[in-house]
Amino acid sequence: MKEQYKLLLPSITITAGIVAFPTVFLLYVSLHQWVLFMQEIKFIGLGNYHSIVTSREFLRSFGITAIFVASSTFLTLLFGLVLALILTEDLKGKGVFRALFTLPAIIPPVVAGFAWKFLLHREVGVLGGYIFPSLGLKKSILGDPLLALISVIMADVWCRVPLMFLILLAGLQSIPAEIYEAAEIDGANYWQALRSITLPHLKGAIIIAMIIRFIDAFNIFETIYVMTTGGPGIATQTLPLFGWKIGFQYFNLGEAASLAVIMLIITIFISQALIRRMRG
Amino acid sequence: MRTSVLARSWLSKLVLYIIIVFFLVFFLFPILWLLLSSMKTHYQTLVIPPKLVFKPTAEAYRKILTGGMLKSFKNSLLIAGVDIILALALSIPAAYSLARFKSKFNENIGFWFLSVRMAPAFGVIVPIYIVIRNLRILDTTFAVNVAHLLINLPFAIWLLKGYFEELPVEIEESALIDGATRFQALLRVVLPMSMPMVISVAILTFMFSWNEFLFAFVLTSDKGVTVPVLVASLAGTMAFDWPLMCAVSIGAMIPAFIFVFVVQRYIVRGLTLGALK
Repeated sequence: MKEQYKLLLPSITITAGIVAFPTVFLLYVSLHQWVLFMQEIKFIGLGNYHSIVTSREFLRSFGITAIFVASSTFLTLLFGLVLALILTEDLKGKGVFRALFTLPAIIPPVVAGFAWKFLLHREVGVLGGYIFPSLGLKKSILGDPLLALISVIMADVWCRVPLMFLILLAGLQSIPAEIYEAAEIDGANYWQALRSITLPHLKGAIIIAMIIRFIDAFNIFETIYVMTTGGPGIATQTLPLFGWKIGFQYFNLGEAASLAVIMLIITIFISQALIRRMRG
Repeated sequence: MRTSVLARSWLSKLVLYIIIVFFLVFFLFPILWLLLSSMKTHYQTLVIPPKLVFKPTAEAYRKILTGGMLKSFKNSLLIAGVDIILALALSIPAAYSLARFKSKFNENIGFWFLSVRMAPAFGVIVPIYIVIRNLRILDTTFAVNVAHLLINLPFAIWLLKGYFEELPVEIEESALIDGATRFQALLRVVLPMSMPMVISVAILTFMFSWNEFLFAFVLTSDKGVTVPVLVASLAGTMAFDWPLMCAVSIGAMIPAFIFVFVVQRYIVRGLTLGALK
């Protein structure tokens, strides 16, 4: 048996290298003064981390990210749950609805961003140039700091509700029907059953959905990049856009890497906390 | 799962259908609007209020087919295709080894598999960019291929490992007793039983590669440009050719249109990082 193990060992070794490479090298870069087009690469310990954390733009972006992540996570979960509950009911055409609802989740995120940019465009957009102005909202939607932030949240909700819906639907389908039958004999109505049976049984699926959603929203880039590039000013500049700007516009790879490491640590910390809640 | 509790009376059914229609409009309107606008002339897209009835033209699509943009579609297809082959060829033996030969190392590697998915893309691209730049292969489809493989491979191994672990080992063992090598057992016994997951991994690899923007954006500038990079660069120019941009977007969505009816069966488990079976 050991001999055959050796045959498979090379694939594991290559894979382990490939798998570990990005994160290990990322950590290495984050500890160095590493600027593109500058010859010297110098070890500076936590220097990059210090300059990132103490910059005012970091705090501002952190705040915007928090608002973005919290509202988008809440709305996608809520809408996803409502849709999942409705489409477990015995309705005609639910298979078609399920398939159609999936569409926004699997199209390229840049296309999602472009679609909303086009709809909200002040001059040619059917929403931003026609429907909203005729309702009295004459501002440029993506040019106003608050409305732009609401717009990118909405675009994100648009393309991520389907995923939450699919996860929660799978969760609902795994709840055994007998439990409901027993509750019905005891005279429980729909809302009582929802509170005391459905939601407790769905806890695992909800937490998995939350973890995936959190990681996804925290790292969102494409949609915002296409819609506003973080603007107006830095009103929609979440942390990934900030990191991209440092790394690939200012070419400070070291600082960008340290911001990525900070974000990765936050992600691991929050997902671990959620996983503990799921098990506890 | 229980069926039909809310939808017993016609009134509650009506309310449910109204909610469904609301979401249907919300989800599909932006896509339908792109489709509609892609068939307009440039002038027609500028008219406010927008025209719903007009004489459709294929002008924008003709521009894609005759102009230089077709190259991006070819690049994207090539990158996604090569990525599927490489990801499957490397991940199947690795996932099998991890699933069947337990060790301390195997237990701890799980974190690394997911860490690359949890890290922000602008961070993961930093080390990749440094290496690709030093190898002087920027702006090639190969560079994008390598970058995508770094994300797809851990993910593919993770999903396949989970699937292999659930398969009964008895059939495999009897094949081994009959004199098959491990590799033959994998190829002839395990793999045929794992086809649903293999298909799922192939589709997810394709989707990631086809949809991915940031890596391709950082690594390419002209020759290696992919469809999402093309969409973003068109959307970023000031000379808006709205019908053309809409047509390119529709082209970018073709795989999604194809996958949408197989999507639930093969993709849910992948999208949830293997957490839901």
